Amino acid sequence: MKKYLNNLITCVICFIFIVILNFALPRLMSGDPVAYLTGVDEESMSVVQYEYYRNALHLNDNIFVQFGYYIKSLFDGSLGYSYRMEATVSSLILSRIGATLQISLVAVVVSCGIALVWGLSAGSKKGTFDKISTTANVIINTLPSFTVGMLLIILFCFGVKIFPYSGLNSPNIEKGTAEYFFDRIYHLILPVTTLTVTFLPSRYLIVRNTARAVLNEKYLLFARQRGLGRRKIKYGYILGNVAQPFIAMVGMSVGASIGGSVVVENLFSIQGMGTLLTDAVYALDYPLMQGVLFVTAFIAVISIIITDVICILTDPKLRRARL
Amino acid sequence: MIKSRLVALILGCTILALFVFMSVCPKVFTPYAPKQTFELWLKPSASHILGTNDVGYDIFTEIVYGTSQTFFIGISSSLLALILGALIGVLSAQNGFIGQIFSGLINLFVMLPKLVCLIVLAAFAGNGYLNRILLIALFGWVETAREIRAKTIKIKSSSYIENCKIHGFGKIHIAVFHILPNLFDLLFARFLNGVNGSVMTESALSFLGIGDLYNPTWGTMINLAFRRGAFIRGAYNYLLMPAVCISLLVLAFYLIGLALKKEN
Repeated sequence: MKKYLNNLITCVICFIFIVILNFALPRLMSGDPVAYLTGVDEESMSVVQYEYYRNALHLNDNIFVQFGYYIKSLFDGSLGYSYRMEATVSSLILSRIGATLQISLVAVVVSCGIALVWGLSAGSKKGTFDKISTTANVIINTLPSFTVGMLLIILFCFGVKIFPYSGLNSPNIEKGTAEYFFDRIYHLILPVTTLTVTFLPSRYLIVRNTARAVLNEKYLLFARQRGLGRRKIKYGYILGNVAQPFIAMVGMSVGASIGGSVVVENLFSIQGMGTLLTDAVYALDYPLMQGVLFVTAFIAVISIIITDVICILTDPKLRRARL
Repeated sequence: MIKSRLVALILGCTILALFVFMSVCPKVFTPYAPKQTFELWLKPSASHILGTNDVGYDIFTEIVYGTSQTFFIGISSSLLALILGALIGVLSAQNGFIGQIFSGLINLFVMLPKLVCLIVLAAFAGNGYLNRILLIALFGWVETAREIRAKTIKIKSSSYIENCKIHGFGKIHIAVFHILPNLFDLLFARFLNGVNGSVMTESALSFLGIGDLYNPTWGTMINLAFRRGAFIRGAYNYLLMPAVCISLLVLAFYLIGLALKKEN
């Protein structure tokens, strides 16, 4: 239980760290914070404009008051104002975050499912199947995510023309209809496959190695002696040992999956949070970048907390200790 | 088992030697200068092994000259990350307040969304070489530190360290002369892994357009190829060959690491 409590504390510290980083970055960098916070070049601003921005951003107050205003912007849900896009950061992110979550969460779930089944089958029995699939995963692990995506595009969009290579929906389809839904799934297949393939090896290796580590335990020998089937041994005995580290790792990887989604969205020209981030980088829209970082950290921390709760609920030792 | 290790070692060293050779003396591999222009979008032929790109540069030449950039960033940032990781790893294995602080630091960096943080920090810090190396190192030390921490804790509980303590050696003496030598094989393995991580991170960053466009690394090349319509032109080698190089480099380091890994 202490481990999870520590984890929770680290989560909170992580979150505070991101908030402080976001607040400190534009003020610590060499150059005028006004330029960083508005994204407008200093030279192209008139004196009146400059004074207006300075007042609007509360840069004339002392640093603690500024921090107070920053915290306030986090709590009222606006996350700051993007002067480039002329909208609050939260409204921009909210309009895009759906696509990102559709890609990254689905990819996390699918890759975990495949890794669990595959890793258990490979890890529970020594032999050629284990060797081949482990080697294959090691090789996939060397491919950067954009390479996987490009290979898929070349194969399925330009070679065999069966999948679209950009966007999340075909034009001229009305929102909310069943056709729209299936069209969305059709467009999601390649991006999700890309991310799934990129995440698969690390997860597969964790499941396989954990399963391999418990393979020589005496209770497994006993189970085999009693004549239990392979399926029963795999899912009844080995899975229990694999579950804890696996669930913890899945929670950790949600944040990374949003990072992976940045690459995939750029590759498939999907209007998601990742393309919002890269557009913001090109346009030097610093408040928007910080907003994206904040939201990503928020999602990462929340997912870690949720998986910790799942870990506590599924751990028989902890469950009994509490009762 | 020994034989397969030898094969892995030879294969890894061959690929690595080829790339090192490429980065040290690129002129041996290609007759053209790095920014020499030819006709646009030439198909692969004897004079241009991989064809030319949208502004007429020979693609193979660009790959050869990109090797040193990729190598330099990969190796220097992983070395930095290694030093940082070893230091924080050993410190976090101490008992008491210092240990707790550094363990917390490790846990904190494990949780941070790495790529998004890197993109935002790179946007703030600017695109210089040094900045990119520092940033990649800043997010690359975590795994090293975790492994070093685990190993150090294991070593500290062993009897020869106890013996040292009984003889009254100081903490620093024990750390430098008794713990550090035992970490060397782990550090070496982590260095090989770290180069892989750095190269992958660098290529992902430069694929997203955060990088030096004039001295392209392999990731930058893919980014340019992607943005300038290599898909539509069917110039798949412009897109895929730099990626193949990245994979080969990563595979080479992995194979060497596999071959030199201690039997457990």
